[in-house]
Amino acid sequence: MDEDAHAKPGPAEQVSRLYEDLEAQGAKASEELVGSSGFAAVLARAAENAAALTKLSGDAMDIVLRNLRLAGRRDVVSLSRQLARTEDKLERVLQEVEELRDELGRARTRPAPAADKKPARAARSSSARRTKDSS
Amino acid sequence: MNTLQSFARLPRATFEFANVILTTPDAAIGQAPRDVVWTHRKTTLYRYRSADRTHPIPVLLVFALINRPEIFDLRPGNSFVEYLLEEGFDVFLLDWGVPDEEDADMGLAEFVCDELDWAVRETLRAAAEEELTLLGWCIGGTLSAMYCALHPSGAVRNAVLLTTPIDPRGSLYDRWVGDEEFDVDYIAESFPAIPGAGIDFANKLMKPVTNHLTTYRRLFQGILEGKDPRESYQAMAKWVADNPPFPSRAYREWITWMYKENRLVTGRLRLRGERVDLARIEQNLLVVTAGADHIAPRAGTLPLLDLVASEDVTHLDRPGGHIGLMAGSKAKHEIWPELADWMSERSDH
Repeated sequence: MDEDAHAKPGPAEQVSRLYEDLEAQGAKASEELVGSSGFAAVLARAAENAAALTKLSGDAMDIVLRNLRLAGRRDVVSLSRQLARTEDKLERVLQEVEELRDELGRARTRPAPAADKKPARAARSSSARRTKDSS
Repeated sequence: MNTLQSFARLPRATFEFANVILTTPDAAIGQAPRDVVWTHRKTTLYRYRSADRTHPIPVLLVFALINRPEIFDLRPGNSFVEYLLEEGFDVFLLDWGVPDEEDADMGLAEFVCDELDWAVRETLRAAAEEELTLLGWCIGGTLSAMYCALHPSGAVRNAVLLTTPIDPRGSLYDRWVGDEEFDVDYIAESFPAIPGAGIDFANKLMKPVTNHLTTYRRLFQGILEGKDPRESYQAMAKWVADNPPFPSRAYREWITWMYKENRLVTGRLRLRGERVDLARIEQNLLVVTAGADHIAPRAGTLPLLDLVASEDVTHLDRPGGHIGLMAGSKAKHEIWPELADWMSERSDH
């Protein structure tokens, strides 16, 4: 009797196994479903509908804010874009400056002709651009 | 545990389960100390602090555009960054940041030819080296492969590509977005930045029952059995739920060039007028694929091995999923040592 009791799973375990089997079958069936071309078509339409709704509501909200003479999302984005363009230009200028500084540093460390030999100056540290992450 | 014991534990397990779910947003991830080396727009280059650098060639980590790079440094004790630091590497991380509507003009060219190129430059300057190891994961791997193809004799000495989509034909994503039915232009015009939640929804839809049911059932079962899955579950769940928006131009180009026209593997992809020819990749190359990867299936990465010109090519195919392979509990003892060994053999002067 005792051996039988140990071998047989309890009701809770049986329910658990039953549920896991059901879940595994559900997973397989759902993966087959999402892999079908019909589902892909539905997904594409759903994505378009979501995009259209978002665009409509965003445009409507922008019109309201504009008529209230308040800065809306569009204005903030426009300003951010201008800032980003300025940062792009600044980055390129910085890179040019760094390259020139490196070249200058290399030229200074090269042994100069004996007649006009001057003491070499240390290259400026680039650590000025580095900041600490406080996170 | 008998039935009665299970019932007795049920109320406590239910409260514990609810607590784990509700406090997930408070989980701490990406904890390794680091310094900001360089920033540009939303991109940030970090360098991890280490007092024990034994390999001079630095490692630059690049992750995808659709999740945050904290997966490289998930939690103390289970962090790839931490592991690399312990192995003596000089580790840098490229974080694309959280793009928004103002970044709608960022395309693949901006990510590869500007952000990645400049991050490589800044890494070399900070490490005072002339070469580095570029380690890309998922879309980050594809962007890294593009970069290597554009700069075959550049600063990248070693390229490590983890679960990287190269030829996505036949994948589930391809079925969803590759056909004309999916109007990527309309989506990209409607959303200046494709919401991260939308991309996350699609990702989870690939395995709906597993992602929406099995994960929670396993968590509850673990708690009921007296295990403590809080730390591991919360770190991963928090990372999975953190989805930055995808800049619309980059999204449009990614879907069109990769899925609709399959340009990369056929050598028809051009960035700023220059052809991205994978056959020009000459760097030492390590390609890692995962057997159960449904996001970037192995079959979609393997064509790269036949295309590249590299003389030193290694392919590791390991069991695991797209993320689980590198961030799962076994990664520390299985794939990480293999990656570190491969890199250390190629990271000295």
